[in-house]
Amino acid sequence: MAIPWRHCWRWTTGATSTSVLETICGLNGRSATFAALSLRGTGAVAGSGKERLSSRPEDTTSIGNYILTSRHKSRLLYPTQKPCCCKRIHSDAKLKDPFTLAQKDLNHLYDDIKKELFVSKSELKSLCDYYFDGKGKAFRPMIVVLMARACNIHSNRDGSVCLCRDLLPGQRSIAMISEMIHTASLVHDDVIDGSDKRRGKTTINEVWGERKAILAGDFILSAASMALARIGNNTVVSVLSQVIEDLVRGEFMQLGSKENESERFKHYLEKSFKKTASLIANSCKAVSILVNSDPEVQEIAFQYGRNVGIAFQLVDDVLDFTACASQLGKPSATDLKLGLATGPVLFACQQFPELHAMIMRRFSTTGDVDRAWQYVLESDGVDQTNYLAQSYCREAIRQISLLRPSPERDALIRLTEMVLTRDK
Amino acid sequence: MTVIWFRLSCISLLNRGQRNISIFSNATPSNFNKVVSDAEKIVGYPTSFVSLRCLLSDELSNVAMHVRKLVGTKHPLLSTARGLIYDSRNNLRMRGLVVLLMSKAAGPSQHTASDHLPQDMVSGIYPRTVSHHLKDGPKVSISAPIPGSLHRLILPRNLAEVTELIHTAFLVHRGIINLKEWTNSDGPLKDMQFGNKMSVLSGDFLLANACTGLAQLNNTKVVELISSAIGDLVQGNYHEIHNSLEDNSLTDEINMVTWEEQTFLSHGALLAKSCQAAMELAKHDKDAQGLAYKYGKHLSLGHKLNSDLQLFVKSSCSADPVTFSFNSAPVVFHRQIVGQERWCHQLQQAKTIGRQMDYTKLRSTIKLEKGVTSTIDLCRYHGNKALESIQCFPSSEARSALENIARAVTKF
Repeated sequence: MAIPWRHCWRWTTGATSTSVLETICGLNGRSATFAALSLRGTGAVAGSGKERLSSRPEDTTSIGNYILTSRHKSRLLYPTQKPCCCKRIHSDAKLKDPFTLAQKDLNHLYDDIKKELFVSKSELKSLCDYYFDGKGKAFRPMIVVLMARACNIHSNRDGSVCLCRDLLPGQRSIAMISEMIHTASLVHDDVIDGSDKRRGKTTINEVWGERKAILAGDFILSAASMALARIGNNTVVSVLSQVIEDLVRGEFMQLGSKENESERFKHYLEKSFKKTASLIANSCKAVSILVNSDPEVQEIAFQYGRNVGIAFQLVDDVLDFTACASQLGKPSATDLKLGLATGPVLFACQQFPELHAMIMRRFSTTGDVDRAWQYVLESDGVDQTNYLAQSYCREAIRQISLLRPSPERDALIRLTEMVLTRDK
Repeated sequence: MTVIWFRLSCISLLNRGQRNISIFSNATPSNFNKVVSDAEKIVGYPTSFVSLRCLLSDELSNVAMHVRKLVGTKHPLLSTARGLIYDSRNNLRMRGLVVLLMSKAAGPSQHTASDHLPQDMVSGIYPRTVSHHLKDGPKVSISAPIPGSLHRLILPRNLAEVTELIHTAFLVHRGIINLKEWTNSDGPLKDMQFGNKMSVLSGDFLLANACTGLAQLNNTKVVELISSAIGDLVQGNYHEIHNSLEDNSLTDEINMVTWEEQTFLSHGALLAKSCQAAMELAKHDKDAQGLAYKYGKHLSLGHKLNSDLQLFVKSSCSADPVTFSFNSAPVVFHRQIVGQERWCHQLQQAKTIGRQMDYTKLRSTIKLEKGVTSTIDLCRYHGNKALESIQCFPSSEARSALENIARAVTKF
């Protein structure tokens, strides 16, 4: 197909895509030159492999690997970059597997959360406990726990390596709190979106009604807030309260659509930060605050969380197009049906300008959803979004690599790969 | 300025569909308004300003625009919004006012170091909240030291705002409807879904601002206390959903002790704990905190009882499905007095030939028994309890104002 080729050339010369580049550079402050370099570097390589890529659009894993290994050949600013050394990571896989490392701390996480949800009315109790059944991915608590340990080791608490990596009690609370805040927002989101399925279960609003669902969400939030206060650290309280505000503002941002294409992308990335990355970033920052007063360490933790979070959301948006319903536990193409234009659509719009009008009317006309889906799958929107997710992961790795080496730090690096290659 | 225009146009649109009785036109005695305005003079400015800053934010102006689409439907958000913008006097602003007065009435504690407040605490409040909500407006910064009497009001003012925000958030969240119970007479389903969406978002926005406001107080004990009040509000509201259904009134055993417990959760906990928090912020001891808590608790209960009584003591109030609540104190007292069997019988009697409830008849039935008088007695009891607590504080203008409020709430 001629079109993807031409499009690819546009990317490498940086002619019309500067707006997107600027966006990435603008948001990623320090990594501006790095991002630009890597984009231009890979453009040439990707161009030659385009045919292969487009013949297997759904095979994101191999695309990811292909780009990862090909990047190895281009000039990199930071020699400490490890992500493309796939072989080395696979051999130490077990050691650095995030799940295994975090397991001990996360063992009783859900039970402990349920203990925080102290309420007398049994029906309300079962509503609040509904999603804390251990079936969630516990992705956020895992990051928090690993980050806490990595920071503890970096700060060399107690001087002895063995003791210092253990979690402070406040850090474990933060892991719980992050999962609680996340769940509370999910409960409310389901009411807002009118969803009837989540994580393979019927949603709370579908079973008990909207009024009770909202109350349950509010209760979980209040319990999280109480647990937060009990840590006894005012800065941590501020940092995590900011998350709650960001979550709501992110939802509001979804209500409107931007006219201007480049503004739209910036808006999308900012919304992704507020809705997804803010929680992870600020939770990471919070655990680092508890062990280390050095603002640079806190910034590293925050930036790691932020970049991983945005990558996570981008992949989520891709999965909405590529995965099928049974794997996700909820129906796909949901974003389109809700009128939301995510990464793949925004990229596809550059190739298929017809999408512009559909985006503005939020896919409300009959047939819009199907047509938009077709356009996206025909374009390289999915690839572009994946590629963008990778660059965020690279930045996350760059940040975390500034900490002292430890199994947890390596696990966090490994985690970024998992974010990119997950299928649900 | 566009924001103000939206508000004004919203008001005019909302007034077009106005019903005679809004759930907020709490027909309190005429001197209540005077009591409130006198009290506001003591704290420096009208407390209606306190919540307006939030209402003027971009997000809520956005909601206001969307709420116009709900005109003509029966979604509760419409009347809630009207109450927020239009009714500036009633129970909506009372909480913030009480919190401010409480701080003033308690005076300085022996533990407050000096009158000069650390710079960051002062600048952390005004510039953050003002520039936060008026994004493009001028940034306010306070560099001169604040006179002693004024600084004591800065932190509590923020607490008062948090209290108002939480109260309003729950009012808004209460206005969500269960879509499965929707009928054609409510309006188009799409509008109801939309109204729900707006309600959830606005309520969440207010709660989120309450959380950040709490964080700014720099006192984790207060954060814990107020967060527990949010949990109480949830539980209280949860009971209300259950109790307000007519069918449940037929089957459930209920008595006034349970009623008081549940009503405290939904109507008293927030004010009680806010008053206590005000004392904590000023570093007063446990005794003072206890007294403040008691005042807040009894005042709220008295106020709720007063509110429930309006339908039964004011002949001008019409009895209909909106104004009549099966969970109101007179009704609950009545049920307790006459017993389950007679109650079922009376419900039957009050139904018209078409099996519709005749609320006027039901009200008359209730007035014949002792339910109403028992409620009046209970209301007076709580009013007196509130008075008792506040009279333990040193004499001052603020204390007198709080006494007046307690008296006004129990007047009929």
